[in-house]
Amino acid sequence: MKTRDARHLMNRRGFLQLVGVTGAAALTSSCNRVRSEAGTPLSPPNLSRFPEKAELILLTDRPPQLETPLHYFRQDLTPNEAFFVRWHLEGIPTSVDLRTFRLNVSGHVQQPLQLSVDDLRSQFEPLSIIAVNQCSGNSRSFFEPRIPGGQWKNGAVGNAKWTGVPVRSILDRAQVKSGAVDVSFAGLDAPPLPSVAAFAKALSIDHARDGEVMVAYAMNDQPLPMVNGFPLRLVVPGWYGTYWVKALANITVLPRAFSNFWTDIAYRIPNAPNGTESPQHLATDTVPINRFNVRSIFVRPEPNEIWHPGVPNEIQGVAFDSGHGITRVEVSADGGTTWADARLDAEIGKYSWRRWRANWTPGKRGQYRLMARAANAIGETQSTEQWNRSGFMWNVIERVDVKVE
Amino acid sequence: MGLVAFVVGCRQRSGTSGEAAHGVARVDSAPTQSPQPQNPVHTIALPHDEPLFPPGPGREEFLAACVVCHSPRYITMQPPFTRSAWLGEVNKMKDVYGGHISDQQVQRIVDYLVSINGTPDPVGAPTTANYGE
Repeated sequence: MKTRDARHLMNRRGFLQLVGVTGAAALTSSCNRVRSEAGTPLSPPNLSRFPEKAELILLTDRPPQLETPLHYFRQDLTPNEAFFVRWHLEGIPTSVDLRTFRLNVSGHVQQPLQLSVDDLRSQFEPLSIIAVNQCSGNSRSFFEPRIPGGQWKNGAVGNAKWTGVPVRSILDRAQVKSGAVDVSFAGLDAPPLPSVAAFAKALSIDHARDGEVMVAYAMNDQPLPMVNGFPLRLVVPGWYGTYWVKALANITVLPRAFSNFWTDIAYRIPNAPNGTESPQHLATDTVPINRFNVRSIFVRPEPNEIWHPGVPNEIQGVAFDSGHGITRVEVSADGGTTWADARLDAEIGKYSWRRWRANWTPGKRGQYRLMARAANAIGETQSTEQWNRSGFMWNVIERVDVKVE
Repeated sequence: MGLVAFVVGCRQRSGTSGEAAHGVARVDSAPTQSPQPQNPVHTIALPHDEPLFPPGPGREEFLAACVVCHSPRYITMQPPFTRSAWLGEVNKMKDVYGGHISDQQVQRIVDYLVSINGTPDPVGAPTTANYGE
């Protein structure tokens, strides 16, 4: 299997990189019990290959929801072919004619626009931002009690270089009238029944005009794959993927607050710290989901990876937040009793994830639980416990079980 | 209980070492089937990969009502849920998304979902349907 070969190669490469590392500090650790839990694959994932995509973990085929296998996160930028896919409605676009496709800008503006992709590429100053896009429900399968919905593990996230035109530049050309409140964004996807709300999301006029929210026509310097939103996708750095409208075709400036199912009822979080509530006491006060919280993800080892006693390994992961910047990641090899700082790779953008590494030479055979917690520049860190009814915003202190034998 | 050598933080990354290669320049996008429009019409064909379902009471109602809008993988990817949780989901499809399902069909569909992917009602199970992702 292709992915397995790649993993073995990386094992070997990771090992070779570590030969010669000195300065080992031996810390006593207790070897916690390991319980089988969500996130530990009990059976091999079902892989599927969609057009323009690599073999990804198949959650659903219609509409497609495809998860990125962890090994792709060994690269700072997630390849387009491996980037996760999540659509809401069955009627997703499968054909786009660039000769007739137009991005329509309308509503509370002096000058409605119909822009082709060529217009966007040739008539506006391009902007590139490296940014994480993460599904609101990434890691949902780790919540207890379990929650209905896309049963993602950690792969409904990716980091890419997005290139396009700031929404501000487009709105400036359209000349927003005074009194604008929100800007809504809708794509080419269509509901399967008239009773299902068409997918659209909105940002405040100030957010839409912040100079960073952009209409992207390129992802890692290439056109977007169709299932990632070809030809245009809204990029909202630091905010959850629900706002990153795919196959973006309509921008509407509104003189009032936006209202629809996907904002008023769906994609809401408890208005409480970290969006947490309990199954017994569901929050009555909720707000639309918005910025990322702070989280980390283990890249190496992968769940139930087998490492060997006395052999140095590099523990590796990524961490990100909504743009304040990751300043510290701590790692524990004893189930959270003792913690030590991981090394941080150089920052490659405030909305990018940041890679972290720690060396570890397992002593004895057995099961080990590794943990990781990240903190950002304003002191936010990861949760010790968390639950909400929709399974959003998972950021519990990360853990992974590794076998040493 | 084990003693492990846990080596962290002993080398601060300078940013000038060979590992600075993890910078912006490292774009590893695979250049497969790029939709660069030589042809201005870009088209894909979506694969369908829908699972088979075992026979059982309610199967016909399930297939008729649910797969109109989505793949049955929406059910098979879920962990086992209680009857009340499945009922919440089916009612959400009917009441919130407007699925054409009668109250009698709701019960038959829930029977089938519980039979293929159900669990007894424990304490603390979610009973309120979620919306969104």
